[in-house]
Amino acid sequence: MRLYMDSAKCSGCNACRVACSLNLFCENNPKKAAIVIGPHFPAPGVYEVKVCTQCGDCAAVCPTEAIKLNDKGVYYVDFAECNLCEACVPECPEGVMFVRNELANTAWKCDLCGDCVSVCGTSALWIAEKEPVAA
Amino acid sequence: MKKKNRITTKATLRPSGALKSYISGKTEITVEAGHTVRETLSALNIPPEVVALVVVNPRTTGVNEEQQSKDYVIQEGDVVRVLAVIGGG
Amino acid sequence: MNGYGGQILHVNLTTGKITKEPTPPDVVRDFIGGRGFGAYFLFKEVPTNADPLGPANKLIISSGPFSGLMIPGAGKCDFTTKSPLTGGYASASMGGHFTAEIKYAGLDSIILEGISPRPVYLFIDDDKVELRDAADLWGKGTIVVEKHFKEKLGEEFQVAVIGPGGENGVSYACINHDFGRQAGRGGVGTVMGVKKVKAVVVHGTKSIPVADMEGYRKAGMALYKACKDAEGLKDWTRYGTTIVTSWCDEVGALPTRNFSAGSFEGGKGLYGQTMREKIVITDKGCFGCPSPCGKYSRSKKYNIHVEGPEYETIGLMGSNLGIDDIEAVAQANLLCDDLGIDTISTGNAIGWAMECYEKGILTKKDTDGLELKFGNVEATFKLIEKIARREGFGALLAEGVKRASKKIGKGSEKFAIQVKGMEQSAYATHNATAMLLAYMTCDVGAHHNRSWAITYDLQVGRDKVVPEKVARVIWLQNFRPMFDVLGGCRLQWVELGIDRDLYCPALEAITGVQRSWEDLEKVGARIWNLTRMYWGRENEGFGRQWDMPSPRFYEEAPTTGATKGQITKFEDVHKLLDMYYEQRGWTSEGIPTAATLEQLGLAELVA
Repeated sequence: MRLYMDSAKCSGCNACRVACSLNLFCENNPKKAAIVIGPHFPAPGVYEVKVCTQCGDCAAVCPTEAIKLNDKGVYYVDFAECNLCEACVPECPEGVMFVRNELANTAWKCDLCGDCVSVCGTSALWIAEKEPVAA
Repeated sequence: MKKKNRITTKATLRPSGALKSYISGKTEITVEAGHTVRETLSALNIPPEVVALVVVNPRTTGVNEEQQSKDYVIQEGDVVRVLAVIGGG
Repeated sequence: MNGYGGQILHVNLTTGKITKEPTPPDVVRDFIGGRGFGAYFLFKEVPTNADPLGPANKLIISSGPFSGLMIPGAGKCDFTTKSPLTGGYASASMGGHFTAEIKYAGLDSIILEGISPRPVYLFIDDDKVELRDAADLWGKGTIVVEKHFKEKLGEEFQVAVIGPGGENGVSYACINHDFGRQAGRGGVGTVMGVKKVKAVVVHGTKSIPVADMEGYRKAGMALYKACKDAEGLKDWTRYGTTIVTSWCDEVGALPTRNFSAGSFEGGKGLYGQTMREKIVITDKGCFGCPSPCGKYSRSKKYNIHVEGPEYETIGLMGSNLGIDDIEAVAQANLLCDDLGIDTISTGNAIGWAMECYEKGILTKKDTDGLELKFGNVEATFKLIEKIARREGFGALLAEGVKRASKKIGKGSEKFAIQVKGMEQSAYATHNATAMLLAYMTCDVGAHHNRSWAITYDLQVGRDKVVPEKVARVIWLQNFRPMFDVLGGCRLQWVELGIDRDLYCPALEAITGVQRSWEDLEKVGARIWNLTRMYWGRENEGFGRQWDMPSPRFYEEAPTTGATKGQITKFEDVHKLLDMYYEQRGWTSEGIPTAATLEQLGLAELVA
């Protein structure tokens, strides 16, 4: 399973990011969310959404094995094991691995909790089976 | 053998929200095609003035819903949604 | 403090002194936040008879307890000041993401006082607060300046910026944000401009505390579920406020040619469906909003991007000016946004000017050669520029229709469509007495957002003048603005029809204080009476005459459209006010009685 997005439906409201920070950190602080909403204004006038596709590239490079696979087949960060080396950040093809020392002393990523989907009023986000990557 | 009555064709009206109270709380009602939305609403004692939006999903073309005016003549198989003016700006 | 940023930021622009105080718990208790803070600080801290354009006036910018949290529509910011347009209370509500960022920076209100000796912008980055030089930005449009800040400081910074309109002192200059949201009405941008503040930019990384984390997350999710389950969500999102354009035309509420009628023969060119097909590209929303009303658009005809136009702008810049082309309205919208002037007041003022021109009260000699006939799109664009720069004929209109019509005279005052000096917004009220009363008694002047009562008029009977209508207007006035107080948006309740009782557990879990809607409406009544007292304090002889509507609505029945031949009776205007004052607990001149003030806990504050 993984999160999917349709940027064309995104309104830039950031409800997903508040829900996300609440799930990961129990805090109201969307800067600590694991989803990216990129506004392109005044032109072309659209939002560009980036989500974790559960590709596992981050886990493959983590030297402390802090990025683990849970029993639902979802990659997540074990905060206790992360040493902030930032090896994962450039590996992520979507730019949704996060390290911000001023905000948290761990890397963080999407753990597919689904709260973002629950609060997205335009149905721009949904969770479904991983599709095989096209050749 | 009874012949089917082909003269009167049918469509569906779906009043939204508070408008359902005008059709005893049901979610939809079968109406005669060939009348305007305005006439159809009046026949059901729904004051056309309290309807803000008319959205028609035409069976014939199968394309997405389109907003129509209350002068739109309902066609056979149309599903006509009518929304009340709740609030405004 | 749970649910709050925790501090009030005071900026003295004359001295450059910047201080903070903890957000006072008693003000939170009695006024809650947002617009409530604005009303309180205006009354308490701005001295009586302060010049709106002078150093003693303050611009009070406030978020509320919902702002920045996981609550539908948690994105509204209040801007309160003494109005340079009306001389009374001004409060404008701005959507977008600014209000959330204020809270993440640990603030609840930002209060600007004094006048800076040179153009500055206020820079807030968590605890770092500075006044920075804005000489390079002064004179520039709001769009390019916001873009500049986003590129220079980072996308996470939220920007509130004025344009040339505010800099030049147009009486109804606005404040812009997020490439399309405004604090529009009453000249809040004028005050920011006279204080020489080009922009406020804010960034914060703090988390907002709540009293009961689990209860808040549950209540927030319940609110989002209600919104997502709402039957009208898809339609509302598709059209936003343009959902009512065709309906207003049909029922005679669409202002046409300076409110001379309520239906427009060219209306179809402005309807929501037409706009969606021609120009809309993105449904753009404020912070936390599941039902984005913003219709971000691209007009190929004028080669522009603009957020909007929304219904008010469509009414006042379209049908009110006899213009039937939605793309022309979009261009007019962008000009106003970029120059930083309120589209409602601007459209209303131009409509008045066009009627003057058509009647021969003004000629080309007066209008710098502009042919101000209804429908003249190019003249409209040129006039917007002149107003924003207060150049030539634009300078007259920049004063607002009340002052402009007083200067011109020749009967033009009778068709200056305003109340208390504020231009009426986009509902024609020839025969809709609840809505007319709403405009007459709105606390900032003729604005619709406190009490939108037209559907009630249609349900009960348009011309009926009955206590129930008055009660309805009062209830809406006590209730709807509470969303502004909470720092959130009313449109989820208004347009999606979600159960308002869902908000109470959320508010309690966030703040730790239980408040029912009855409690909240009492706060609403308290604020309403306080700002009424403010009008009286600042305007000698304030009373019933100030609540009178434009004579157009009791003297000139439309000759076309849905309300053809319909008009309100003059004696009903007074009858409405009689009932309103009585139900409000005010004197026959419309002044809150001592008993009413006592009952609302205001006796000490207004003494």
